[in-house]
Amino acid sequence: MDKTEILNVVTYLEPLACLVTLGIMLLRKQLQKFGYLAAFLVVRTISIALLLPTRNMAGNLLTPKAAYQIYFYVYWFSYFVEGLLVFGIIYSLYKLSMAPLPGLQRLGYLMFRWAGGIALALAVVTAFGPHVSGTHFIMRFVTQLQQTLCVLTLCMLLFVCLASRPMGLSYRSKIFGVCLGLGVQAAADLAGSAWLSHVDMQSMLSTVNGVSICITLAIWMAYFAFPEPKRRMIILPTTSPFLRWNQISAALGDEPGFVAIGDVTQDMFAPAEVEIMQRASVKMTALAN
Amino acid sequence: MKNLIRAFALSLVATGAVASAHMSNDPAKLVVTATRASLPVPSCPPDDPNACGIVVK
Repeated sequence: MDKTEILNVVTYLEPLACLVTLGIMLLRKQLQKFGYLAAFLVVRTISIALLLPTRNMAGNLLTPKAAYQIYFYVYWFSYFVEGLLVFGIIYSLYKLSMAPLPGLQRLGYLMFRWAGGIALALAVVTAFGPHVSGTHFIMRFVTQLQQTLCVLTLCMLLFVCLASRPMGLSYRSKIFGVCLGLGVQAAADLAGSAWLSHVDMQSMLSTVNGVSICITLAIWMAYFAFPEPKRRMIILPTTSPFLRWNQISAALGDEPGFVAIGDVTQDMFAPAEVEIMQRASVKMTALAN
Repeated sequence: MKNLIRAFALSLVATGAVASAHMSNDPAKLVVTATRASLPVPSCPPDDPNACGIVVK
């Protein structure tokens, strides 16, 4: 079997594997919990289902120019949507992994929104350049966005890997499995970009990429097919910084209480409040005597 | 097993970090990796007269 045949097999295998993963997720009732991942798999399957026939129809049922225009816009639009969904997956993984510490979880949301905004702004800024046309801008913008998201994915993998124990997660949990699968894809994408920057070996890279896609989908299938162990109870010492930061973060953003400063006249209070204060004052005087 | 998985995950992070450091900083050069195994990346403008060589022979 030569390289082209392997690639053809992988291309037809990919949408099938996506559908099988979706099926397993549906059977295990995980579609709601991992909604972004399900949407990602659906978008990927639909885009391949559109791109493959368009490419095969070029020169037969469609003129090459018309086929290429459809191919171009479907490819880049689906690539952009996949990028947004990858961000959604990372966001939901963070939310699930930090569920026992709601204070820190809330603080993390804020950081995630900033990271997402910066990734988007960075992609827009780097896409602008001299002699950049509209279509070239789309390619640069989407590619830059995907590369930034790859870095974010690997950061999330590192976080899940290091914080899995304190968060009560095991390496057999679905949260870790989804993160690991995304990490394989992100590492392959980044390595591919670095490789292509120096050596023009697109065909070799396509094979490596095909293998990485298969590994990613196999990881997801395995993690969703097998039951995961129950999340451990988290026991933290009272002096734990995790606990302290969680309490501080939980208090952040709460509606504050108000203190009256300066001259306070009696008519500012309700008659019942005045009555309570008078009774308390009488009691305090009696106690003091 | 646990250490193996951890080592694999950390090696992925290290690969990504090294790859990011070696990526081209040339803004004029657009590097797009294939996201779908054997489907080519449409890197020409949509009105390309040769349709970017999309026709499968």
